[in-house]
Amino acid sequence: MRKLGAILLAATMTFGVAACGGGSDAGEELSEEPVTLRFTWWGSDARHQRTQQVIDLFKKEHPNITVKGEFKDWNGYWESLATTVAANDAPDIIQMDELYLASYAERGALLDLGTASKHLKTGDFEASALDTGKVDGKQYALPVGLAAYSIVVNTDLLAQYGVQLPDDSTWTWDDLKRIGGEISKASGGKVTGVQSWGFNDAGGLNIWARQAGASLFDDKGNVAIPPAVLAKYWTYLADMAKSGVAPPPSVTVERASAGLDQSGTATNTSVFATWWNTQLTSLTAASGKKLKLLKLPGEATAASPGAYYKPSMFWSISSRSKHPAEAALFVDFLANNEAAAKVLLTDRGVPANTKIRTAITPQLAETDKAAVAYLDTLKVGAAPRVTPNGASSIEAILKRHTEEVLFGRSTPDEAAAAFIKELQAEIDAA
Amino acid sequence: MSALGELRRIRGSARGSPRKKDNRAALLFLLPWFAGLGLITVGPVAASLVLGFTDYNLIQAPEFNGVDNFTRMLSDERLYKALRVTFIYVVVSVPVQLACALALAMLLDRGLRGLAFYRSAFYLPSLLGSSVAIAVLWRQIFGADGLVNQILDLMGIQGRGWISDPSTALSTLIVLNVWTFGAPMIIFLAGLRQIPVMYYEAAQTDGANRWTQFWRITLPLLSPIIFFNLVLQIIHAFQSFTQAFVVSGGSGGPSDSTLFYTLYLYQRGFNSFDMGYASALAWLLLVIIAAFTAVNFWAAKYWVFYDD
Repeated sequence: MRKLGAILLAATMTFGVAACGGGSDAGEELSEEPVTLRFTWWGSDARHQRTQQVIDLFKKEHPNITVKGEFKDWNGYWESLATTVAANDAPDIIQMDELYLASYAERGALLDLGTASKHLKTGDFEASALDTGKVDGKQYALPVGLAAYSIVVNTDLLAQYGVQLPDDSTWTWDDLKRIGGEISKASGGKVTGVQSWGFNDAGGLNIWARQAGASLFDDKGNVAIPPAVLAKYWTYLADMAKSGVAPPPSVTVERASAGLDQSGTATNTSVFATWWNTQLTSLTAASGKKLKLLKLPGEATAASPGAYYKPSMFWSISSRSKHPAEAALFVDFLANNEAAAKVLLTDRGVPANTKIRTAITPQLAETDKAAVAYLDTLKVGAAPRVTPNGASSIEAILKRHTEEVLFGRSTPDEAAAAFIKELQAEIDAA
Repeated sequence: MSALGELRRIRGSARGSPRKKDNRAALLFLLPWFAGLGLITVGPVAASLVLGFTDYNLIQAPEFNGVDNFTRMLSDERLYKALRVTFIYVVVSVPVQLACALALAMLLDRGLRGLAFYRSAFYLPSLLGSSVAIAVLWRQIFGADGLVNQILDLMGIQGRGWISDPSTALSTLIVLNVWTFGAPMIIFLAGLRQIPVMYYEAAQTDGANRWTQFWRITLPLLSPIIFFNLVLQIIHAFQSFTQAFVVSGGSGGPSDSTLFYTLYLYQRGFNSFDMGYASALAWLLLVIIAAFTAVNFWAAKYWVFYDD
């Protein structure tokens, strides 16, 4: 029996990690032979079309390299990536997110891009931007775009209900609640002042912690947010839902799971909502109204700035790619080529490559220009630590505990203690 | 048989008795099935047993960690939540589903006109019930602006977000499972046809009313079929996954109210890269299902009546 077990384990291990060696060096000369690369990303239909155009451009410059696109939506993407990596069948070029970067890098699934500097240039990136893609000092990922958390306000609805646009350089969280309440009252509840958050994104929680002088994770990658700060976060959200400033919990839950097009902002049923600044274009298209980006409340009175630049996503290369040099060349094309940038524009965030950012600005739509301007005027602190290995499920955990609080199944204090315990356990287990 | 005969003719000169050759031919035809069973079922099942005793994050090699995964279960609060949700789902939905199936089967058994049509119409949901499309449909029907609320609205009743409210979300999934009563219904229908009409005639002569006939004749003679359906549907319900996955968007929410056991297992394995623990969970589920089935068989001695 023990022997059988050993054989089976050996078999699974072969499937799991076969060929840690193999593959060629990322610093080698490019192949003259036909090479096929696989490239995977998540995103909308518009992104798939733009990305395919860029792949075609690349093929024109390098006829012997064929790039095959594999694209999915966000939810299916990570499950499929985990299984392909486990099966030693990972795509060569991987669109990576901050949440999962450490999980993959620390497990040896990603190539150190520093070894590929012969084909992949990073000179036009700011050092602070490049740092966001480093794990243990090695460049495992190249940032594609930058984004910052913001409040999106529907100015058409503000005018309709006769409410003044608040001054976002001085406003506080109490102001947001008060103004939101005025709108809910004026509309008779048809339109709520604020759309609840804490579901699909840890951005708001990060900023809440930073404003209180804390942070979500410490440098060593352990959970560091004090329970009292976290409890206040949920008390604030629960108060808004109870007093009608935000919609009832079940409406919020339903909207949160239905995606951007069904959100309160997109359907013009909530006036203020938290979004990444780069989502302004999609939101404006969906709502058809005038939307404006505001800084988050509480920044003026905060212990330290809450705002920060978040890399919207990264390019990574599989450590088991058989063609790392060619893969690096393709990433170089994505990151540094102006013709490619003019197709992609800000679809993956405001380009982190400063030269490219300047080059494409004249071509941008009004809403994209507003998103770029928001980034430029924002006062930011140092970027938070990359999400530690094991904590990539933070959004799901946050969502669940937010639901517990909103439906009154946990008090904010209970939820805070449970959230911290659970998240830390995930990190410890990884 | 012609294919077998053909084979026998081709291999006419082969050694061995005709019977052995028959067996060999049968094995040959079964080979694709055996290969599939071995590669797709037995292999992974055996591998998961081994992985259950390892720490395996899908990317690095698994490491043996003894019974750590199993001791970890004892303090896993979400596992308890998942067990609770799953037990409620099984204990409520299976009996209700079987009751509906039996009731409908008896109705159809009375020689309705257009029986074939009704039979198909009622059977259809059980073919579709565990599909993604139906789960998506369910989301729409029970959503805040869904069909159910629109109908309630017409009657002047204020609806609610049935799926987005943790106090009703599981109920909507139970309703979905009950709705797929077609498969047990067909089996009941076949069982009812097996009961000799003379029993009922004799009972009528003795003055037994319909209720007594049902209680004293139909139920006892149908009990093997009920037992069969019960065992099958309980196993089936324990393994439910798609409905909860689609309706809750993979989260088991809101606030874990639809966290089926299989969904939790999936989250551990594929969302948290915790495949060792997930494998151990799979084996715990196997043990639970086996225990339920064993109890079922033990209890059957006291209520299942075999008429032979």
